Amino acid sequence: MMNPTVRWSLFLLLIPLLVLLAAAVMQTDGHAVDLDAVFADASMAHPLGCDALGRDLLARLAEGLQLSLSVGIAVVCLGGVIGISIGMFAAWMGGWLDAVLMRFADIVLSFPGILLAIALAAMLGPGVENLIIALVAVGWVGFSRLSRAQVLALKHAPFVEASLAGGSSVRYVAVRHLLPNIAAPLLVEASFGLAAVVIGEAGLSFLGVGVQPPDASLGTMIREGTRLMLVEPLLVIWPGLILFLLVMAVNLLGDHLRDRLDVKGGHADA
Amino acid sequence: MLGRVCAIRIFQAVPTLLGVTTLVFFLLHLVPGDPVDALLGETAMATDREAMRRALNLDLPLLQQYVSFLVGLSTGDWGNSIVDGRSVLILIGERLPATAELAAVSLLLALVLALPLGYWAARHAGSTRDFAAMSFSLLGVSIPNFWLGPMLMLLFSVILGWLPVSGMDAPGSIVLPAITLGTALAAILSRMARSSWLEAMSSDAMRTARASGVKEQVIWWRHAGRLAAVPVVTMFALQLGAVLGGAVITETVFDWPGLGLLTIEAIQRRDYPLVQGCVLIIALFYVIANLLADLLSLWLDPRQRHG
Repeated sequence: MMNPTVRWSLFLLLIPLLVLLAAAVMQTDGHAVDLDAVFADASMAHPLGCDALGRDLLARLAEGLQLSLSVGIAVVCLGGVIGISIGMFAAWMGGWLDAVLMRFADIVLSFPGILLAIALAAMLGPGVENLIIALVAVGWVGFSRLSRAQVLALKHAPFVEASLAGGSSVRYVAVRHLLPNIAAPLLVEASFGLAAVVIGEAGLSFLGVGVQPPDASLGTMIREGTRLMLVEPLLVIWPGLILFLLVMAVNLLGDHLRDRLDVKGGHADA
Repeated sequence: MLGRVCAIRIFQAVPTLLGVTTLVFFLLHLVPGDPVDALLGETAMATDREAMRRALNLDLPLLQQYVSFLVGLSTGDWGNSIVDGRSVLILIGERLPATAELAAVSLLLALVLALPLGYWAARHAGSTRDFAAMSFSLLGVSIPNFWLGPMLMLLFSVILGWLPVSGMDAPGSIVLPAITLGTALAAILSRMARSSWLEAMSSDAMRTARASGVKEQVIWWRHAGRLAAVPVVTMFALQLGAVLGGAVITETVFDWPGLGLLTIEAIQRRDYPLVQGCVLIIALFYVIANLLADLLSLWLDPRQRHG
């Protein structure tokens, strides 16, 4: 019997998945401008209608969704690898190196995350790569503090000392012994992190410092849709709804993982 | 004892503040290529470029720029806006009251909503009512504020016509921005309130109180309430700072003329000194709010003073 939280989460993902599937079947180009189809209603050719330039809304939603997911996964993976490496290294080395690295993490944490990402993305200039850099620059900190705390607790555990005494290298101990033991809270952090990054990417694109038109991001679509809200409210309702369902599903999965893996704390603030 | 611990905490915040200002300084130097190119375009006249370079102090060595930046910060000279030449601090000062008003109303709204909701959920833990309250909370943390804002606008301003669409001049104009900004806070706080209340209720002290015949209502509010208040109040103080980050987006959505909108306008106009000033002031507030949260929890929970 599937856990109710997981069931809810999969249920929420149903509409985003349907959008992806339908777009894959339809094979419509989300960039193709068709001035005869401006604000076209839903039809067989355009199941969700068209936007102000006559572009297919379904295709653009699918493109935005894919972008959100790929940026989200890329940022969580990159931020995770960087953050976990720094955190484990700081905990293992201790001393001034630990102090310097953690003070730096504190400083990054002294900014509201979204503000630092906005400022970085704005300074680096538009584009997906810079967007990823800006989000990673904010996202690694959570992983590094968490992994540091975990490694500090396990550093002198008998199984670690036994392995070192048996001649294993530090790298071997870190990857084969420490990492599997600290994976549970990191996994929970990663799932909430994914939700936060997906919102973050859309937020930056909404503000105009992320993905640039004509590329579709759920954030840019909400931005464009808001301007045309009086004419065609569906243009803002759809991308927001897809984003909301995706984030809520990921948050639910995070909640489930936290309970399942019995991790204390964790957060769901995006 | 409390005074000494507080003094240590305040002293510890100094290097963080210095770190924050350093990071903000280097943000400006992150601009790929030449910021003057970004501002004036590559076809600008050499004399204009030189003037701009001097105005931004970019003709000095990096270290000297950094030192003069720090000296300027401490003497109240935060530079001038490139766009209209006015002092960055004055521009920030003009916009601060609007953001303070929005933040205060949002935080108040969040608190008024979150406490009863958290209590209600904890009181009926495991029931459908708990599930309903926590579903609302999950909804609140998952809904992006740059979508919630337009949706509220669509319903209450466009369809029902009850409230103004944007700006801050019309009566009632603060309602929608405050709900937009306050929803996520309410969601986070209500989760926090629920879990801390439940944890407090499961403590030995509450079992003893119950065994000695103290009324259930009194245990929940007077005894467990005080214990549960520590993390909730701390989280609330932390949110004082976080709300400023959220304000950047909410103010953009509603055209609310505060610090957040000023930041975005400065970014769009590539007004780097102003961007620097805005980011710095928000970060400073954030650091102060975190410090406040720290001090508050020390005051509320004597156990932490010996930690």
